[in-house]
Amino acid sequence: MSITLDQVTKRYQSLPVVNDVSLEIGEGELLVLLGPSGSGKSTLLRAIAGLVEIDHGQVYLHGREVTAVAARDRGVGFVFQHYALFRHMSVADNVEFALRVRRMKRADRLARRDELLKLVALEDMDERMPAQLSGGQQQRVAVARALAHRPDVLLLDEPFGALDAKIREELRRTIRRIQRELGISTILVTHDQDEAFAMADRIGVMHQGRLLEAGVPDDLYARPRTRFAATFLGAANLVLGYRLGNELHFDRPGDETVTAREIVAVIRPEEVELTAGGTTSGLTRVGSGVVEELQFAGATERLRVRMSLETGPIPATPDREGADGSTWLLDASRSFPEQRDSPFAVGQRVTVSARRIHSLPTPISSFTALARDAVGAAALAGSPFLTTLAARMQTRITVRSTRTASAPPGMPVLAAGPGAGATALWNLTHGTSQVLVLPAGAELPSRIIVLPGAEADVEFLGVAASLLRHIPAESVLLAIHDGATPERERASCLRILLDARARAQIEHQLDLRTELRFGDLDRELARELDVNPKSMLVLGLDTLNEAETARFASLLELPPLRPVLLVRSPAGAD
Amino acid sequence: MARGRIVAPSPLPGFGLTLGFTTFFLSAVVLLPLAALVIRAFEIPPGELFGLLTDERALASYRLSFGAAALAAGINAVFGFIVAWSLVRYDFPGRRLLDAMIDLPFALPTAVSGIALATVFSPAGWLGGQLALAGVQVAYTRVGVVVALVLIGLPFVVRSVQPALIDVHRDLEDAAESLGAGGLQVFRRIILPTVLPALATGFTLAFARGIGEYGSIVFISGNLPFETEITPLLIVIRLEQYDYAGAAALGFFMLATSFLMLLAINAVQGWGQRRLGLVAGR
Repeated sequence: MSITLDQVTKRYQSLPVVNDVSLEIGEGELLVLLGPSGSGKSTLLRAIAGLVEIDHGQVYLHGREVTAVAARDRGVGFVFQHYALFRHMSVADNVEFALRVRRMKRADRLARRDELLKLVALEDMDERMPAQLSGGQQQRVAVARALAHRPDVLLLDEPFGALDAKIREELRRTIRRIQRELGISTILVTHDQDEAFAMADRIGVMHQGRLLEAGVPDDLYARPRTRFAATFLGAANLVLGYRLGNELHFDRPGDETVTAREIVAVIRPEEVELTAGGTTSGLTRVGSGVVEELQFAGATERLRVRMSLETGPIPATPDREGADGSTWLLDASRSFPEQRDSPFAVGQRVTVSARRIHSLPTPISSFTALARDAVGAAALAGSPFLTTLAARMQTRITVRSTRTASAPPGMPVLAAGPGAGATALWNLTHGTSQVLVLPAGAELPSRIIVLPGAEADVEFLGVAASLLRHIPAESVLLAIHDGATPERERASCLRILLDARARAQIEHQLDLRTELRFGDLDRELARELDVNPKSMLVLGLDTLNEAETARFASLLELPPLRPVLLVRSPAGAD
Repeated sequence: MARGRIVAPSPLPGFGLTLGFTTFFLSAVVLLPLAALVIRAFEIPPGELFGLLTDERALASYRLSFGAAALAAGINAVFGFIVAWSLVRYDFPGRRLLDAMIDLPFALPTAVSGIALATVFSPAGWLGGQLALAGVQVAYTRVGVVVALVLIGLPFVVRSVQPALIDVHRDLEDAAESLGAGGLQVFRRIILPTVLPALATGFTLAFARGIGEYGSIVFISGNLPFETEITPLLIVIRLEQYDYAGAAALGFFMLATSFLMLLAINAVQGWGQRRLGLVAGR
């Protein structure tokens, strides 16, 4: 591996801007770190270059640990968004800079300089000053300069950000060609998904300091794991669907249906089929709506279809809803032949089907605030914790204050305090395996303790991962064993914990710190929670036996109250 | 051009009025008095003028004025750079206050700073007393002149260097570092060359100001002829002796020097711009 990152964390004023990022980049690979501004991607890149000190974790370049090595000794080439050329030096002097500080012999230096300028197609520009070059030329000089000392790794920080579209396109090709020619392992940071698709061997999606997922572009596009990646990499309709066995449908189940599992379905606009009549056989019916907008764009036609919230399917994200609160807009696109064969007009009623549906593996599809009365439910739904989390997860919150026969389809949310234990237990035994319990006015935590049950199964870790991805908090995977555990068995306790960590990493690309404790479970847990007053607990449940029930009941009902997410292991479910 | 216009017509009205006012104002305040000075100097026969300018006492005063101004500007170039650096690069409590205080020598009547310096550095003063124990006398010596000029010249250097330092973006240093340069190399190859034109401008401004400085020096220098007497003071002395020809000659000399300094400042700034390739030709 050329570049290996292990749990890299960088904090600014105790807030992690890069949060436990682990990543491996192969020899000659070009990885694009894609994310919105403020997602920590540039900070991560600077950390790899040694321009930013990290607070936790390790950086390896070609197997050598460089975490504590100064930037100048890391052997990386770095290209900045605004070129960062030395303006008082000519193009030649800029390119030769790395060679001069290494005291290379003059003849060798000049030969290398000419070679580099040829590589970036700026042969006759060596005498010019940077101010006399266009933006594209300046950036090519910057690339040549960064490659002068034959670095093992090339890092590019939004290198095309300051350039206009046409030059950007050209420079992309140039850099891609050079990168392939030299076979240099490269990381490119950008917020532009087109750029990511155009350049990348592999894309890593960053959001709020975390590396959400990494994969080859087409796979990431077709099978994203997170809502964020699904919507950030191209347009997507996220719709709540209900899975009954192998069947997926979009009509909301009645309250009595216990077995339907709520999922988040990703339907790309180009996978939407619109018909004037019924659904073509073989396709999944999504619903019906009215054509609201038709936009001709040459090869494709972009449409927006207004869907009803009451009768049709509901979007997984609330931001698509219309102002009237009863409809939402679905995006669709059609190829030119399609629009020629069956033209639509604005206002026309159409049937919406999907050719291909990808269901997100996210275990949290929506939140349902549960309370005895409407006021309580609304207060719970409006708590800072839930509204912030739902906004970050792009998840909807529904409110329910009526007694029903089964748990709601999404994740139930309860208020902490008296009775919370019993209500949580009822929900856990009536059709759901996760319950979120929030104290009044709870805010997002800055530390999350993840305490799995006896077996830290993949599903439990999935729920934890889903939550952690959206909260910029430190997280610790904790295991507490009996204080009487004999010394020789302690090693196996550690192995179990590290296995769980590895599973979280492989299955959910979530990196967690681990902590192993021996002693009384309740006391050690309380101690761990007291480290930070803004702690949250993710608690794995095994059998729902009396001891376990009593433990979580006391955590939910007795002060100090903290946000607690209960996750029941599927093995223990009946 | 048929009607012989000097400049292209501007869409903004009032050009004639403002140009007229500018010409009048400059003439009344600057050109007329200076012209009078030059005319007065040239009324003196050339031989006598040369004699007045190369008089022993005058030569001694030039040496002090120019020497002390150059030394003070040099000291300011070093320490002003450090001050500007700490103001630009670091954030610390009281930074804004310190930043504002840099301008104090600008705003203070020079006589006030002169008296203050004389008080502090006189053998009975706080610093002067301590220095006297170490065998150094500042007040009433040439050292005092330099000290006064350091005080007066500091803001020129700091204010010139500050914007240039702000211009040295962190990225530049990061780039140099990632290319293998150590801290000293980054300073020598990147930071210093980038701010050098601004530093030269600051030096020249401080130097020019130092040559003409009067108020802050006369209280601390002791004004001994041939020893601690600066040229502006000599002009005043000549005037007090009703030696108008002598005063005019020295005044003319100072005027010529100022003019040369202005040219030098312009040349330095032009050099700085050309070096970055901002102006055609190299």
